[in-house]
Amino acid sequence: MNALTGNSLKISRVNIVSKKFQRHSHSGNSVTLKSPNTSVNFQPIRAAITGAADSGETHSTVLPTESARDQLRSDMAASPDVKDGRIAGISAAIRVIPDFPKPGILFQDITTLLLDPKAFKDTIDLFVERYKDKNISVVAGIEARGFIFGPPIALAIGAKFVPMRKPNKLPGEVISEEYSLEYGTDKMEMHVGAVQAGERALVIDDLIATGGTLCAAISLLERVGVHVVECACVIELEYLKDGGGAAIRGEESAAEGGRRVGTG
Amino acid sequence: MFAGENGLHGDPRLKAISEAIRVVPHFPKPGIMFQDITTLLLDHKAFKSTVDIFVDRYRHMNISAVAGVEARGFMFGPPIALAIGAKFVPLRKPGKLPGGVISEEYVLEYGTDCLEMHVEAVQPGERVMVIDDLVATGGTLSAAISLLERVGAEVVECACVIGLPEVKGHCKLNGKPLYVLVEPRQ
Repeated sequence: MNALTGNSLKISRVNIVSKKFQRHSHSGNSVTLKSPNTSVNFQPIRAAITGAADSGETHSTVLPTESARDQLRSDMAASPDVKDGRIAGISAAIRVIPDFPKPGILFQDITTLLLDPKAFKDTIDLFVERYKDKNISVVAGIEARGFIFGPPIALAIGAKFVPMRKPNKLPGEVISEEYSLEYGTDKMEMHVGAVQAGERALVIDDLIATGGTLCAAISLLERVGVHVVECACVIELEYLKDGGGAAIRGEESAAEGGRRVGTG
Repeated sequence: MFAGENGLHGDPRLKAISEAIRVVPHFPKPGIMFQDITTLLLDHKAFKSTVDIFVDRYRHMNISAVAGVEARGFMFGPPIALAIGAKFVPLRKPGKLPGGVISEEYVLEYGTDCLEMHVEAVQPGERVMVIDDLVATGGTLSAAISLLERVGAEVVECACVIGLPEVKGHCKLNGKPLYVLVEPRQ
């Protein structure tokens, strides 16, 4: 678990349960997840800056290489989204709660974003602008905060909304994917028949830390022949300047309205 | 009150919404005919109609907050809130909301449950609507109304996609009006 005290960061190795993903260890300990079904160029997912916000995922991280961090910083600076004035408003609307759900974690609370109609609308608009011409027919939202952002996007782009739920919430026939938590595992479920083979999907959640939950969602969709075009999160946790953080490369990830905590 | 008997009589959207809802027998336990709205969410046109009907009703009521009950209220509330320019307030199961919360316990068939809201989410005097996918006994909605009234908000109305027939005789919850689109399918 990431327990940030001053500038030190406790880390441990990432443990991914899903067999569909191969783990590659590069020099410098960065970890890549590759889905065997896609040949997409993966963008790095930037990671924990101040101790990962909790979303039920494992907070285990590995140290990125110096060059990987520099590349990411220049990627971020080059992103046109960062320059969009709406991003600042979105970022400012997110509240940080220390020591929730447990000591050492700085929780990124999006409920204050939802209380700001302009910032909430800007968040949705940014995603809709990005996805509306990508022929996406499915928006899959991860319980529970993905349920808040997914439906407005789905409605605006003409897609269906598919809830990805904790076990035993969905009635009728489901498929399940187990994924790793810091201690133990959890399961994500999707309705059988919700999506068809060949459909193009977007996966949405409020925050990405290690990517474990998003990987489970990708798995579920790919298992039924869906093409996951992108994963989108409001908040993407960032590298620590002085060197800690998760370097998990996953499916293309767009951190719209990225919350920059601490380092620029 | 049911939409079909109040202003939307014969509206074809109501039929489409009703037909998009799937019934799953014996879930979560034997004897219960579960009204599954996930199939409504898969039907873009019907889902949009659902949101549009609520938006048309509430947009001129000066509502500044939409409170949605976890978890299916989270799917209907935000699109409505965004369209009417209101904030969205999630009402959650215990332990999920970080920071200062107030709690309201409510009665289940067996035992009790609890709903929580952030203390500063709504201000005294704000006009709020509460949304959930389905109303049966009204226990959950009553807890929601309580939370909002405890912080001085005015609950203008509760809205649900589906309402069990029992609610027809009791269209008010704690004195608050209830607006429902469709009855359950058999």
